[in-house]
Amino acid sequence: MQWRTIYRKECVESARNFKWIWVPLVFILFCIIDPLSTYYLPQILESTGGVPEGATFNIPTPPPSEVFMMSISQLNTLGLLVISLITMGTIAGERKSGVAELILVKPVSYMAYISAKWAAHVTLVVLSILIGFLASWYYTQLLFGELQFLHVLIAFFFYGLYMVFVISISIFMNTWTKIPGLVLFLTLCTLILINLFTNLLPHFLEWSPTMITSYLPTVLMNGDIAQNLWMASVMTIILTALLLMGAKIVLSKKEIT
Amino acid sequence: MIMTQDVIQTINEHIAIIAPLLIIQAILIVTALVSLIRTEVTNGPKWMWALIILFISTIGPIAYFIFGRRNDT
Repeated sequence: MQWRTIYRKECVESARNFKWIWVPLVFILFCIIDPLSTYYLPQILESTGGVPEGATFNIPTPPPSEVFMMSISQLNTLGLLVISLITMGTIAGERKSGVAELILVKPVSYMAYISAKWAAHVTLVVLSILIGFLASWYYTQLLFGELQFLHVLIAFFFYGLYMVFVISISIFMNTWTKIPGLVLFLTLCTLILINLFTNLLPHFLEWSPTMITSYLPTVLMNGDIAQNLWMASVMTIILTALLLMGAKIVLSKKEIT
Repeated sequence: MIMTQDVIQTINEHIAIIAPLLIIQAILIVTALVSLIRTEVTNGPKWMWALIILFISTIGPIAYFIFGRRNDT
């Protein structure tokens, strides 16, 4: 019961902050900017000049699945930044302003508080990604050719898992400090470190959450779901659960002292 | 001059493709402005945010939503 109240309160707050409007729009923008600019590349080159007279370029048209991957890689950089930015103050800010104390003196469990906030952000972000994916799929279909909708949906499912994992990292970092900026810094550092280790030891960390993105091209191309992709997803879900539990433990220790 | 005409022509030909992009940017600007007018206090002067929202496309409204609003009060 209380869980639903906190969840609803979070959603109302997101609506008041216009998050429900701008986050989906921004994700659509991120997703469609690459298909568009790839499509118009010859015209852009022509109008900006710098191309010597008479030079002819033969820019090969990338296959649809590759264009779609461009959108995903855009989300992987700018999208991650936006997600970290919108989640950075969700608990840290409330503890700073004292709202968290107001909520937690009532008989609300820490787990309910954390998971409701987490769920509210997951709803917003996952829906935004879905809309962004649909927009990107539409443009890819329109400008570059056939891309199966089912493959896009499968890719969305796995990519959504990864994004949920990112939100969990941010929520976990939220419980450590009261400074939103530091939360952002820690979240991005964690993501960079995970990325770095995965890139350094690709054979040992085939199940790392950041590997999900690198398995997506095959999914988009022919719908094959690699064994490693399943394992990476399971790993991501386990890590997400651990992060949420860790957040609960840290927060309960912080509030007592 | 010929170049700009070319660009305008290309845009005219492909207006159906580019239109969503422009519409999204317009919605972003309008919501950011509405929110700016409604709130009482922002981080930094209001007129500065108005300029940022209006003249820096896409990034301006996003920056306002993330950094301009004071949520914790």
